[in-house]
Amino acid sequence: MSHLHPPPPPETRQPLIVAEGVNKHFGAAHVLREVSTRFFQSEVAVIIGASGSGKSTFLRTLNRLEKHDSGRIVVDGIELNDSVKNLDAIRREVGMVFQQFNLFPHLTALENVTLAPRKVRGTPAAEARRAALELLARVGLQDHALKHPHQLSGGQQQRVAIARSLAMQPKVMLFDEPTSALDPEMIKEVLDVMKDLARSGMTMVIVTHEMTFAREVGDRILFFDQGQLLVEAPPDDFFDDQRNDRIRAFLGQIVH
Amino acid sequence: MNGLLAIWPRAWPRERRSSATIVLAALLLVAFMWLLGRLLAFAPEPIGPAAEQFAGGTLVTLGLTLSSGVLGVVLGLLAAVSKMSRLPPLRWAAGFYIWSVRGTPLLVQIFFTYFALPELVPGLQLSDFNSAVAALAINVGAYNAEAIRAGIQAVAKGQSEAARSLGLSPVQTFVHVVAPQGLKIALPPLVNNVVALLKDTSLAYGIGVVELANVGNRLQAATFLPVPTLVTTASIYLILTTVLTQVSGAIEHRLDVEQRH
Repeated sequence: MSHLHPPPPPETRQPLIVAEGVNKHFGAAHVLREVSTRFFQSEVAVIIGASGSGKSTFLRTLNRLEKHDSGRIVVDGIELNDSVKNLDAIRREVGMVFQQFNLFPHLTALENVTLAPRKVRGTPAAEARRAALELLARVGLQDHALKHPHQLSGGQQQRVAIARSLAMQPKVMLFDEPTSALDPEMIKEVLDVMKDLARSGMTMVIVTHEMTFAREVGDRILFFDQGQLLVEAPPDDFFDDQRNDRIRAFLGQIVH
Repeated sequence: MNGLLAIWPRAWPRERRSSATIVLAALLLVAFMWLLGRLLAFAPEPIGPAAEQFAGGTLVTLGLTLSSGVLGVVLGLLAAVSKMSRLPPLRWAAGFYIWSVRGTPLLVQIFFTYFALPELVPGLQLSDFNSAVAALAINVGAYNAEAIRAGIQAVAKGQSEAARSLGLSPVQTFVHVVAPQGLKIALPPLVNNVVALLKDTSLAYGIGVVELANVGNRLQAATFLPVPTLVTTASIYLILTTVLTQVSGAIEHRLDVEQRH
């Protein structure tokens, strides 16, 4: 078994995120169909599926970057609805890493990391700076703190983005295809940071096409197909003992 | 023209080159204003005897431009934010403001502020100078609003998504993430608007403000020498717009973190 940390028995764990019967439409397209699942403390859940299967949309409903049309999503005991108060409370606890990094181009790496702690949590500047430098060191970028995003490679930018999210000390981190926009030689440095994070016990929900990584780091694989959560299974069962034809076909198309 | 920026040592960091340019341009402007009357006094007839009027008119032109320019940026920002607001009445008010101002001539707006406003709002009789400032500010504000709105809407959606997902409120997201990037995009058109504003101040002559164009026009009417008087007038405008473009180039250079230029 290659799991980085063994999950405790399910019945003793409190779910951090609960999704029940979540539906979402974009116009006529029914992009999420009755999706129900739970994410637990310290769990690494990996969402895979073809493009257009709804996996990114589902991830984005978990911090309400997309609104769901029906069903329930509860994060850390707070239901996601139109209440702005709930929303801000949730977003402080849920970190998000994007495919396109979305670093703030007018700020240095250090300022990118300190902005939210200072403005949202009211952390004093010196303390925020010290914490940010520690986080940048953790992702291997202590020497790049004063550079602007355009002076950094894609892999470095994504690592700054991870540090930026961590600075808010989130309870869960969402990753939306974090390596899909990277050149091949930079994928590893980002995945290594994510592995470290998983090892430290961070709760993570990851949308990715990196199957080797999914298998190595994931505690659970969620397979999306045409808006439905088709299968949830531990990685070894999912990859080795796959009887579902659609999933076999999907896995067959992925280059390992 | 990128003139002044290029005179500094290449080794200087971007901010220093930019600040040095702004300081130098400001000094040049002050020196120009100080010298203008004194130098023109040496010019032959009909300019020499009217040197002080030219200097005074230029000062009034600069005063009109700076006051209405600053007010116009504030108005533009307010109107741009209102037009993107979630509250329909704010959107309508901003839309009406931009539509009516951009659809009517500036000269009519200046006349309106000076002649019609006191009748509509008893007691609101502004001086000719203040009327001109108000009308010019309202006018340039409408154009600024569209420039600022376009700049803000050009900021990638991922930027506000990233800010919001970090827990920043909508206002914090606007102030710290979207506005700095949007204003940078809006800067070139904003500067265009200010240069246009400097030239548009000449319309204040319609309500009797003794600014540069008015001085030139009075002199040519009195002397029947249109060539030297109008060439002098135009030259002074040209020098002012050139200095203004230098300052704006320096500001743009400072904000150009990605050094694309």
